[in-house]
Amino acid sequence: MKPKLVARRIGLYVGLTIAALTFIYPFLWMASSTFKPPTEVGSLALIPHAPTLDNYRTMWARAPFGRALVNSVFVATTITLAVLVFGSMTAYAMARLNFRGRPVLNAAVIAVLMVPGQLTLIPLYTLIVQLGWVDTYAALIIPYLFNATAILMLRQFFLQIPQSLIDSARMDGMSEPRILFTIFWPLSKPVLSIVAIFTFMGAWNEVLWPLLVVREQNLMTLPQLLTVFALGGGAGTVGVSLASAMVLVVPVVVAYAFLQRNFIESMAGSGIKG
Amino acid sequence: MAGPYAAFLLIFAVYPIVFALVLVFLQWDLVTTPTFAGTDNIRLLIHDGRFWRAVANTFVFLSIHVPLQIVSALALALALNRQLAGRSFWRAAFFLPVVISGAVVAILWSNLYATDVGLINHLLEKIGISPVPWLTDPRTAMPAIAVMVTWKNVGFYVIIYLAGLQYIPRSCQEAIEIEGATAWQRFWYLTLPSLLPQTILVVTLSTINGFQLFIEPYVMTGGGPLRRTYSVVLYLYNNAFAYQKMGYAATIGVALALIIGIVVLLQRRLIGKAEAL
Amino acid sequence: MPSVNFEHVTKRFGDATVIEDFDLEVVNGELLVLVGGSGSGKSTILRMLAGLETVTSGKILIDGRDVTDLPPRDRDVAMVFQDYGLYPHMTVRENLSLGLRLRKIPRPEIERRVAWAGGILGLEPLLDRKPKALSGGQRQRVAMGRAMVREPKVFLFDEPLSNLDAALRAQMRIEIGGLQRRLKTTTVYVTHDQVEAMTLGDRIVVLADGRIQQIGRPIDLYQNPVNRFVAGFIGTPAMNFLQGTLASEGGRLFFSAEAARLKLRSGTAAVASTEPVTLGIRPEDLQVHAIDLPTTRALDHSPTQGASDGDTLTGRVVLVERLGGTSHVHFQVGPHRLLASVTSDSPPEFGTNITARVPAARVHLFGGDGRAIGQTPSLRS
Repeated sequence: MKPKLVARRIGLYVGLTIAALTFIYPFLWMASSTFKPPTEVGSLALIPHAPTLDNYRTMWARAPFGRALVNSVFVATTITLAVLVFGSMTAYAMARLNFRGRPVLNAAVIAVLMVPGQLTLIPLYTLIVQLGWVDTYAALIIPYLFNATAILMLRQFFLQIPQSLIDSARMDGMSEPRILFTIFWPLSKPVLSIVAIFTFMGAWNEVLWPLLVVREQNLMTLPQLLTVFALGGGAGTVGVSLASAMVLVVPVVVAYAFLQRNFIESMAGSGIKG
Repeated sequence: MAGPYAAFLLIFAVYPIVFALVLVFLQWDLVTTPTFAGTDNIRLLIHDGRFWRAVANTFVFLSIHVPLQIVSALALALALNRQLAGRSFWRAAFFLPVVISGAVVAILWSNLYATDVGLINHLLEKIGISPVPWLTDPRTAMPAIAVMVTWKNVGFYVIIYLAGLQYIPRSCQEAIEIEGATAWQRFWYLTLPSLLPQTILVVTLSTINGFQLFIEPYVMTGGGPLRRTYSVVLYLYNNAFAYQKMGYAATIGVALALIIGIVVLLQRRLIGKAEAL
Repeated sequence: MPSVNFEHVTKRFGDATVIEDFDLEVVNGELLVLVGGSGSGKSTILRMLAGLETVTSGKILIDGRDVTDLPPRDRDVAMVFQDYGLYPHMTVRENLSLGLRLRKIPRPEIERRVAWAGGILGLEPLLDRKPKALSGGQRQRVAMGRAMVREPKVFLFDEPLSNLDAALRAQMRIEIGGLQRRLKTTTVYVTHDQVEAMTLGDRIVVLADGRIQQIGRPIDLYQNPVNRFVAGFIGTPAMNFLQGTLASEGGRLFFSAEAARLKLRSGTAAVASTEPVTLGIRPEDLQVHAIDLPTTRALDHSPTQGASDGDTLTGRVVLVERLGGTSHVHFQVGPHRLLASVTSDSPPEFGTNITARVPAARVHLFGGDGRAIGQTPSLRS
């Protein structure tokens, strides 16, 4: 290869490395800071001179992070499962069944996506209050049971499954739900995993809604508790507040390290940001 | 089979939209019964300095965030769009902040921007620049948040641009090389125009994102200093949660939706015109 | 001075050597066609000339100037791509003029050249349209116009007609040929279609596996193919081949294969009678006569005897493809399946026995290595 080309290539790699570092380094710094005593926090060193687990101990003692983790897992998983099941039911109906009002439903789904969430935020909140659902799991889960993006994506995919499969199943006497779950689902694994990832991530990272409808610490989701904790002065030191952030981040990063292609495909494809 | 969704839509989508519009004309603190307020809320909003401050803040944010987002996402996409060793590694690195919770990113960068112990000032000191009070100086606070949000989301837009780059036919790229284009000319006359749809998407999405800013000012600055990072959604939240003014909060929500709609429409028009040139 | 020169050009992709020691001189003003199947290296050679591929070793010269290390933009060549490569976001006018604008050619000159090319190619009504509003043939012309306005030293065509339907292809072939004759710009034209090669080329280079099989005028390649590959590649329908041996008998050469024995020209065999030899005869050179009425029985599989007298083969018709004025008569001689191209109004029918005369003057002989044996005297009458 010509020397000028080689030089350019090296320059490219150097540039990319520097850029990549700016994306990864802050997290590394955050991780290492959680192991540093207060005197070392803020230093550039990635390896603490006197590593300590104090930050984590303090954090765990001061606020119910374990409980919050459980809450987040419960809420996010429930929502994801619901979206997958209910979403595919709806998508199946919209794609493959004929019923009165189908065009209306189609239009409605798209319309829902056009409205910014902030418009419906307050009325939804008042609804929750009136239903007496403040400080309940119901408030955290139920408004998210159906996801328009997921439904559209699933519908798009279902439209492409050959009619002949459905026809022969119907002739065999299968009920519609049976067709959906025994025939469509196995064929839809890629789409289902895409939907699962972005739904889960969205639910996992959601903060504004929990801040509105949940006051009770024991019921808070992890990002919510983390925010409250960091802001409310409960953290005290940088190390502690970062330690609480780590609890939220580490599972995600671990999952991401193994599944990054799926994450990218899912979240970029659906237009959702964490 | 579609019954449940229809019911859900009705309760959780249609009703809230309708009720939002109703709330605009009410005063309600959730405890006592709502009272009819006529157009009070609307008039209050039009004259509400804090609201318009928040809108202005958003435009300050957007004026830095959107161009920065386009340039950085495009630059990274162009760098990644070739045969590279470990390409999926680079891509994963840039996309990492996208999957991380906004709250975490906000907390992390609060610490990075910290005037005394923050990493950024630390690095600046090493090259001889005195520390900047990023989050406490009214002039730098919103720009600092804008840079942070750009950092967080750039991976997402890199993917979008990368997808767009695949669609530029190879023969077009070779043709323009043969026609005499330097690398820059190739970018300006072929690559950039071909990416116009993607750029529109970047502008639209990051604009909408900018108007929906909440967790960042909430965590990092609380809206200050001097209300310079006060965002519209933060104001909405405070009206509902702190001041218990549901009607007014709903009004802010409706106004925000309208503003977003108008801005996005205008953007599309403007860019559409630029494309026709 | 020749316009383009390839000197000992070799191209390697990793471990694979695609082109080896390629030498070629392209004469100024000629239309040279590089023809071959896929993998023959023709596109690679063209792209190396354009500068889109690097040269592993060797030199390429344009008008005496060594361009081997120059980027495409400095070579003063213009290229027409198979999918045209038109810029989708620009109008036809902008597509045509971009190359000139990039080189800062003054506006009036740009307009003059665009008008000139537009006139020749009939592009005036299309100048303000975008490529997606054009038909395939129109896009093709815009691509050519774009190359023309540059007034380059060399035109490069990379299978430009492959994406067009047959009728359009035939028409564009004529236009391209006429255009090149008018402009007299040196042109290197790559195609896999030997009809295009034969009708367009001043000279043709037949390629296989990165090596030149033969260079020459179309008629030379047709009449005197130097090897079996070229013989079978050039000419439609393809030449018939029979495997057999040569022997001398009474001062004449005889070719023997199963169920066939043909008297060839006088002379002695240049090869031993045990050497495998291939005889080639073009379908259009076979003279066919029916010798009986079609049988009503099912296909008779009894072996037909090859006539030992002179230069005729005997066989049974197994398929007739009637194309109108010409018919392709497929017939079976023993184990050999042959094709004759017949122009009568009533070709032999399916199932009939026929004789096919093989004129000795039009026979091609190829040795075991594929190379042509001796001189087959080409008939100038």
